[in-house]
Formats: sequence, C-alpha cells, structure tokens
Amino acid sequence: MRILIVDDSSTMRRIIGNVVQQLGVPKEDFDEAEDGVVAWKLFQQNNNYDVVLTDWNMPNMNGLELVKTIRAVDKKVPIVMITTEGGKGEVITALKAGVNNYIVKPFSAEILKEKLDGLVKG
Amino acid sequence: MSMSQEEIEALMSGADDIQVDDVEEETSEEEILEEATEEINVDEILAGIDGIVDDEEPIATIESSNVSEEISEMEQKINNNQYPLPVSDENKVVNQLNEVADDSEEKASQIFDVLSFILDENAEISKYNKNMADFIEKQAILLESLSVKFPNVNVFTENLDNAKELLETSKDLSSKVDAENNKVFEAMELMQYHDINRQKIERVMAVIKKLSSYLNGIFEDDSDKPEVQIAKHISGDSSDIVDDSDIESLISEFSN
Repeated sequence: MRILIVDDSSTMRRIIGNVVQQLGVPKEDFDEAEDGVVAWKLFQQNNNYDVVLTDWNMPNMNGLELVKTIRAVDKKVPIVMITTEGGKGEVITALKAGVNNYIVKPFSAEILKEKLDGLVKG
Repeated sequence: MSMSQEEIEALMSGADDIQVDDVEEETSEEEILEEATEEINVDEILAGIDGIVDDEEPIATIESSNVSEEISEMEQKINNNQYPLPVSDENKVVNQLNEVADDSEEKASQIFDVLSFILDENAEISKYNKNMADFIEKQAILLESLSVKFPNVNVFTENLDNAKELLETSKDLSSKVDAENNKVFEAMELMQYHDINRQKIERVMAVIKKLSSYLNGIFEDDSDKPEVQIAKHISGDSSDIVDDSDIESLISEFSN
C-alpha cells in the first residue's frame, strides 16, 4: 500500500508514519511532504498512491486546496484529513471538497488504524 | 466548539442533525487548574522540599522609597531609549514567537529520535529474547524426555525445572518489553500536542500581525503637514515648570 503523508510539522509526519508502520506498511512505501505544493508534485510524479493523509493548515498550499487539486484529476484515491480544525463547518467544507474521512488532532493510533482499514477494505 | 471524533463519525455516516450545542461543555483548563490549585497547600509543599530559601521580602517591609526609586530608574531607561526595547528583529514579538515555535519543533524531533531509538532497541531485545526462548524450549523438550527415560538421574529433572523457570522469565521479559513499547507509543501520540501548541502560537502571531496592521492604519498620518517640533515642558506637567519669579531670577542672573 502506497501512502502519501502531508503535514508541515515533521513531528506529526513521524507520528503518522509510525502508526502506518505499525499497520505493516514498510517505510519505503510511504512518502512525506511538508506542504500541498510538494505533495502535489509527488502525487503527479508517482501517481500510484493508495491513500493520501493530509493536514489542513500548511504554508504555500493548504490541505483543502490540495484535496481540490487532487480531486480535479483523481476522484478515486482515498483522502483522509488529519487536522486540528475541529469545527463542524470545517468538517463539512472538507467533505464537500472531496475528503473521504476526517480525523481531529490529537488522535489515537487506533482511530487512524480503523480509518485506514476501512478505506483499504472499502 | 470543536467536534468530537464520534460526532465526525456521525457526520461521515450522513447524520447531519448533530446537536452540537447539546454536547456537554468540557471543563476548561483554567477551571481544572483553579480546582487543583485550591487543593494544593503551597506552603506545605515548600516546607517539604529541601533547599528552598524564602528570598521574598515581606510586602509590608517594602518601603515606598524603593517603589519611587524603581519608577525613576524606569523613567531613566525610557529617556535613554533603553526601554521599551528597541524595535530590532530579535525583539519583535512575532519573531520571538516564531523562534519559540521553531525551537520547539527541533526539540520535539530530537525527543522523537530518542523514542524511536528505544523502540528499535526493544525490537532487538525482543528478537534476542525469542531466540533464547526457542533454544530453552528445545532444551526443555529434550530434558523432559531424558527425565522420563532416566527418572533416577536427578540432574535431568533439576535442569528441566530450571529451563521451565527460564521460559517463564523470558515470557515476563517479553511482556515487559511490550508494555514499554506501548508506553513509548503513548508518548509519541502525546507529542501531537507539540503540533497543536505550535498552531496555537501561530494563531497568536496572526492576531498580533492583524493588530499591528490595524494600529499602523489608525495611527497613520496621511496629511502633508510637516512634523512639528513638540514642546518639552507645558504648564500643568508634573515636571519642574518655571514660574514668573523663576524667569525673573534667571534673567537677572544672566544679566550679571
């Protein structure tokens, strides 16, 4: 399973990467990006991701813009928004933009595992 | 108000009728802190700690002269442009907050390195432990058959007991390593608060920037009037103001 992890905090990328590794995904099978611009470049270059996990608030291109950009060319790839934005309005905005699931920080590893399992099986 | 993960789940499954207002307000951090502070007797705690020196001067002994000295010292600093601090890059509040956020990110990354190291080492320990357990298990099977075949040779039975004991120790070690790993994972999860706190700092920075731009706008002088020279001492100021007699005496002094 190829995963793209997008977050401007290197600590968050490592936390998410750690959970993903616990799920049995080897380190070589996930890429990291510190903002939407880098993520979009990687997405175009590789075009083989099974899941995209993205933060919302990031410099250069935020997560919402990234979701819209990806959805313009790829309607299928599952996208999970992992963010501190916990307002109902934000969740609805993200869903409308095309995210498949939404996780509010701080989250437990179990939550991410469940959501990823659901996406991969679904 | 933030949404809980359950509410998001409900939203995901199409239940859009969430009564967000019904969600019970969580106790704020301040309330918890207040409650905790009420229960703590600070004096008792301080009395129980060695090496605490009460270097605070009792309020009653602070004389008013000290206060006025401090004020005049502050005035002097202001007059000498020492205070408030000059508007240099290192003193700008937003820059300072930025530095705090970056510093914290760097240290968090280092803490993560340490936690990752512990996980890696634990994985090695588990591997060695498993190899040892496998070996001991084989020895136990061998000793079991030997002790059955030679019931009169005590050394087989004794060693079998030892092997079984070691297997139990190995299981204990394995569960201790697992428990330690779980704690490390817990610590890693808690490190998300670093990112959350960084975003809180960024929110404060955004407010300061907006406030700064608003204040700049409201105090901006877009008139073409040249900057006027301002009076240093005006009647009614608290500082020394000369009266008529002072002026007369000064004039007569200079006339001489």
